[in-house]
Amino acid sequence: MTVTVDPALAADARRERRFFLSLSLPALFIVGLAAILPILWIIRQSFLTTGGEYTVGNYAKVLSSGLTWSALVTTLELSLGTLAICILLGTPLALALASVRPRVANVLMAFVMLPLWTAILVRTYGWLVLLRRDGLINAALTGSGLTAEPLPLVYNFTGTLIGMVHYMLPLFLLPVYAAMRDIDQNLIRAAASMGATLGQVMRTVIMPLSAGGIFSGSIIVLIYSIGFFITPAVLGGGKVNPLSTRIERALSTFQDWGSASVLGILLLVLMALIGVMLLAARRLLAHNTVDASHA
Amino acid sequence: MSWLRISLAAFAISAALPVHAQTVTITTAGGDYGNAMKEAMWGPAAKELGYDVREETLSDGLAALKMQVTSGAITTDVIHLGSPEGAQAAAQSLLEPLDYKIIDPKSVPDGAKSDYCYPFDSYGTVMSWNTKTYGENPPKTWAEFWDVAKFSGRRALRANAQDSIEIALLSDGVAPADVYAVLSTPEGLERAIKRLEAIKPNVAVWWTSGAQSAQLLKDGEADLVVTWNGRAETVKKDGGAADYTFKGSVIGTDCLGVPKGAPNKEAAMKLIAAMTQPARVAKLTDFIAYGPVNPAAYEGGLIPEDRLKTLATAPENAGTSVFSNSEWWVKNGEAAQQAFDEMMAR
Repeated sequence: MTVTVDPALAADARRERRFFLSLSLPALFIVGLAAILPILWIIRQSFLTTGGEYTVGNYAKVLSSGLTWSALVTTLELSLGTLAICILLGTPLALALASVRPRVANVLMAFVMLPLWTAILVRTYGWLVLLRRDGLINAALTGSGLTAEPLPLVYNFTGTLIGMVHYMLPLFLLPVYAAMRDIDQNLIRAAASMGATLGQVMRTVIMPLSAGGIFSGSIIVLIYSIGFFITPAVLGGGKVNPLSTRIERALSTFQDWGSASVLGILLLVLMALIGVMLLAARRLLAHNTVDASHA
Repeated sequence: MSWLRISLAAFAISAALPVHAQTVTITTAGGDYGNAMKEAMWGPAAKELGYDVREETLSDGLAALKMQVTSGAITTDVIHLGSPEGAQAAAQSLLEPLDYKIIDPKSVPDGAKSDYCYPFDSYGTVMSWNTKTYGENPPKTWAEFWDVAKFSGRRALRANAQDSIEIALLSDGVAPADVYAVLSTPEGLERAIKRLEAIKPNVAVWWTSGAQSAQLLKDGEADLVVTWNGRAETVKKDGGAADYTFKGSVIGTDCLGVPKGAPNKEAAMKLIAAMTQPARVAKLTDFIAYGPVNPAAYEGGLIPEDRLKTLATAPENAGTSVFSNSEWWVKNGEAAQQAFDEMMAR
């Protein structure tokens, strides 16, 4: 293409491109310093004994412990549970938000975002006040005679899940809402005018077109959920122990940085796996939709 | 040349003033306990020594100590630890040896002596209960605490092997004096873990911080709570429907250490010596029911007679108690915690 473009102009464009790239250097530097270096440090730490000699013993110790695997199962149960509830609650909510007038949607969105502006610790303790035995919800339930005994809503898996969904729902909603807002209303009208039922419109128009948003939302939910610590620690009553609480135990009770680092790497690998799986699933699904449209 | 005269004058003035005040940083557990230590102990000591003392608060002193010493970025001069953690820190050479030329060696009874972490106060891990649930007839022993048929109700225990396995053995009929001998055998540890597993279905909450245990007791979230006596006493004093007993308590001590490579080592030793003077550790009981380790603090009426009852180390309270054995925990802590965690995961 240099044949048709004035060489001086091309040089200008190159210079400009280089300048714009250089603008990202400070950010890259910070990311490198704040993300990559600590990860490298953790990888190194995972191969060191407490005395500072190289070893693979930490991996053997962590991976052979039944506790690691039961914590892994708990982590997956919590993350997938949170994701499932977020999809069940968040998708209809996003649909509702996308179908009202933008002014109304903005106001409703502000309410959805409200929890994001509150510190997680405050929110977690807030749930404790609501969910505990003499908390508001149980007082209402027993007071009205709906239940004879207070329900075990907190200090267990249920309470942890409630706290996590509360945190993740707005973050799930944002990309899903954006994707649904972008759907051309004419497509829905066209489908309806061709006699599609509500279910068919959902299945053939809305879902395929918002799949990208749902996938982004799911990745956000899973990646955050895998590392949750405060919520299970406070609302789990010591009975819900994901990998993050094993890391805390290794660090604060055993001062075993090697094992803690191995557990951290396990979390990283888990996140990478989930990311790859979701992207693969998304490509597969997109492929199928294209096939369907050709058929 | 007036600037010269002015600067000379400035030099003269600064020379006449006392040397720049010595700064010392102390790390405490914060909360009611941290405040009590400030009011009674290091606050007055700092004033006496003319030190400028800065306070940092942390709930996990040992992890922070290890982080600071290992990274070489040591910001604290005096750190407050539980004695088992202090012994662990000493074993990992994270602490400076205490300078017993500055600190009075006679202020610690022989059994509690440590070369690295100075024990200054003691607490009991006690049984507490909701007085609305049990009225005048609460469980009196750990065996009764385990008797869920006779005393139904929701239990709360600490999510940690420390103290829990000692209590489990007491509930199984082991005499206080034999607890560590039994625990030192593999069958003994297994026996304690089995005992905890037996009560697990009745444990509503496994708590992770002292403040949380107090909240559980206060809110009635649990009817029977294993907690630290200072926390139970505070709930009771604040009008909560709660009471507790020292019978069968596990007595532990807290200690003060100086991190290896601390910036103001000598000043730190002097601060420890000054803040643990008998009158000051006695004064601590004005704020929180943790009794001094120094026998001299119990002399001369420094602690009012009626308050003695609320301290774990009071002679009348000590008979049925187990003294937490730091050495045992340094040696066996990891295995015990591992067994405990496996029990929790089952």
